[in-house]
Amino acid sequence: MEKDNLMIDYKHRQAGHCESGATSNLFNFYGVELSEPMAFGIGNGLYFSYLPFLKLQYAPMISFRNLPNTVFHRSMKYLDVDATVIKKFKDQKESMAALDRNLEKGIPTGMQVGVFNLTFFPPEYRMHYNMHNLVAYGREGNDYWVSDTVMELPQRISSEDLQRVRWAKGVFAPKGKMYWINTVRKDLDIKSAVEKGIRKTVYEMIKIPFPLIGVKGIHWLAKDLKKWQKKHGNETAAFYLGQIIRMSEDFGTGGAGFRYIYGAFLKEAGEKFDNPDLITASKLMGNAANHWREFTYMGARNCKNRSKPEEDYGKLSDMLHEIADMEKEVYVKLDKIKI
Amino acid sequence: MAEESNPVYKNQAYGQYRELLYSEYADGKFEKSVAYHGESDRVTLQQAWDLFNDRIEAARQKVKAGKASPILYYMEKTLVTPMDLSMHAGIMVWRVKRHLKPAVFKRLGEKTLQKYAAAFNITTDQLKNVD
Repeated sequence: MEKDNLMIDYKHRQAGHCESGATSNLFNFYGVELSEPMAFGIGNGLYFSYLPFLKLQYAPMISFRNLPNTVFHRSMKYLDVDATVIKKFKDQKESMAALDRNLEKGIPTGMQVGVFNLTFFPPEYRMHYNMHNLVAYGREGNDYWVSDTVMELPQRISSEDLQRVRWAKGVFAPKGKMYWINTVRKDLDIKSAVEKGIRKTVYEMIKIPFPLIGVKGIHWLAKDLKKWQKKHGNETAAFYLGQIIRMSEDFGTGGAGFRYIYGAFLKEAGEKFDNPDLITASKLMGNAANHWREFTYMGARNCKNRSKPEEDYGKLSDMLHEIADMEKEVYVKLDKIKI
Repeated sequence: MAEESNPVYKNQAYGQYRELLYSEYADGKFEKSVAYHGESDRVTLQQAWDLFNDRIEAARQKVKAGKASPILYYMEKTLVTPMDLSMHAGIMVWRVKRHLKPAVFKRLGEKTLQKYAAAFNITTDQLKNVD
């Protein structure tokens, strides 16, 4: 069946993080200027979890971000926007037909996809990672035009390939999940949304009574980091260390495991609502982010020379403890803030 | 927007595409910049791919020597563990592990082979021979 070509006038802007970038671009499409850090902060994307009993590409799972689709869900909820999320489809054909219907109505549609079979993605990044997001906004013959905010330019992908990545299997399988905004009110209450977002992030980073999540998780990781060399040998210790660095710097985090984006959010919110406390917090967050970056530079030296580590693992571990304390200071400050 | 070129990344040269990074300066200003990946990113990516390629090569040798079934090779090639593969192909983990033995693999029916081939996105003929 021949389908018509169509193209929605959707503006692609590159962003640090796939999901908050997609959310901010979708808001932009509906005439509300919401920057990427704002979307990230309101949707409380900041997170930390260290799950050594789960392995991702042969190394312990470390995550600097929240579960997939949290940013979109929460920013919609806190800003009280009318949006639709279809969590899963039963049939693969039906999921593509639903996408077509949306595009014909002129609605740019966000989707959760797996990275491994994504044809336009640089090959070195194609690992089994099912939490990527992109927005489809046009169709041309058998191909779709998608805006992947990690890439500089919009990309085209054939319908078969798109179907395959939308139905990638494994952990956090997307199952054809798609989401879109229906209508946006003009009088958005950004102030209360920012407050709710900050409260939730503070709760998740310091108040969850579980040792592997939030600031406690960073401390736990630091403790484990010290033991790796003795327990697994130089090569594996360097590989596990590499996993921390890959997770914090490589996979579309905007640098230092999202800490820079969050700092930019605090700064923007502080300037918008004229709140000096938020600006102080943003400076502290920026400082913590700078330390994260320093940690990755030091760590990368060990990854380069794998059989003979240049930096002492004890020293790296102390650095992580220090970073955790710095971050805790920010969250304690944010906890008391009145916006 | 449609006429924008569509860059295809053919060779595996690390850090070929530009990404958007945030950074902070001493006066508390946050800036966005579009840049290629830095040294530390490239080193860790290279490290990961070195390990993956070693594992793939080891698996290939093992299959050639008749110590393991081709499933091991394709499993390493697609960077999955038996646990993931069982989810991708819809076969229980203990059966996947058993199918890694060459003798068991030879007796597999067409239906099971089809499931594995679909999971690896290849044909059953390719599945039987490792190049």
